[in-house]
Amino acid sequence: MICPNCGHDNLPGSEHCDSCLQDLTQLDQPTAQNRVERSLMEDHVSTLGHPERRPVTIRPEMSIRQAIDLMLAENVGALLVVDDSGKLIGILTERDMLLKIAGIYGDYEQLFVSDFMTPDPVTVTVDHSLAFAVHKMDIGDLRHLPVVDDGIPKDVISVRDMLHHITRLCKES
Amino acid sequence: MELAKNLMIDSVSRLPLGAPRYVAPHQSVAEAVALMRQERVGCLLVCQDEQVAGIFTERDLLRRVMAKGQPLTINVSECMTPSPVVVHPKESVASAIRKMSEGGYRHLPVVDEAGKAIGILSARRIMHYLVEHFPATVYNLPPDPKVVPQSPEGA
Repeated sequence: MICPNCGHDNLPGSEHCDSCLQDLTQLDQPTAQNRVERSLMEDHVSTLGHPERRPVTIRPEMSIRQAIDLMLAENVGALLVVDDSGKLIGILTERDMLLKIAGIYGDYEQLFVSDFMTPDPVTVTVDHSLAFAVHKMDIGDLRHLPVVDDGIPKDVISVRDMLHHITRLCKES
Repeated sequence: MELAKNLMIDSVSRLPLGAPRYVAPHQSVAEAVALMRQERVGCLLVCQDEQVAGIFTERDLLRRVMAKGQPLTINVSECMTPSPVVVHPKESVASAIRKMSEGGYRHLPVVDEAGKAIGILSARRIMHYLVEHFPATVYNLPPDPKVVPQSPEGA
């Protein structure tokens, strides 16, 4: 690690320069090399969604039939499950329908959302960076990521929103 | 810029494709669902004589079977999406992304010149490909980005 102050060649990972005591801890931090990287590091997840876009929510005591109708009417693949105070308590996706319901329950229509939702889903907050959201999606193999503000869902960002954003940046540059 | 260039140059065959899972058109939805659940995939190709006749996804299951209250004994051919948009292995990744976002698809069958399916390209694979271009930016992140250590570790 070359010290930016005096040019002394320090051991990799040193916290300060052996020669001039310059602080070196910030040198390890990644810096943006191009436009897409800069957007990933600096833009917040709120840049993906439309300001007026509202997440599609459902109550845990509603039926699977209502959930299916809502998914089709709103053309979404994931519903956010909220409690009385509007706080996010779970997520119900197409995948839950496939893995937990179809072919397992003959008469599923009147069963409750709360029985099949994924409780306490992975979320991000509005001021998290895009890179952080991408990281969560990629590691957790998640297609939808609820964006919350103090527990209240504000938006859902999807893999497709992210692909859209990155390819648009590539086109513009 | 590196990524923009690679998107145009890299072909679909460079991406690790998911092996295609097949069902025949006359198989039942129950069999298809069992296979999807067992293989943990969200989409199956419906193939007749090695030719892609359709695609059956979670969305089709929701929209054409569960929403209509159809029994799972109906044939896949009745609820699949016929003649899906496909990509060829030599097409660029950029072109695959365009096809996906234009049609709102999450999966594209990859077929060779003879029309035989050789893989499935999913939106998540592409996302992973994009992330691979920025390993330092995306992977070198603390579990909570707002927490910055006040002093060097061990101090």
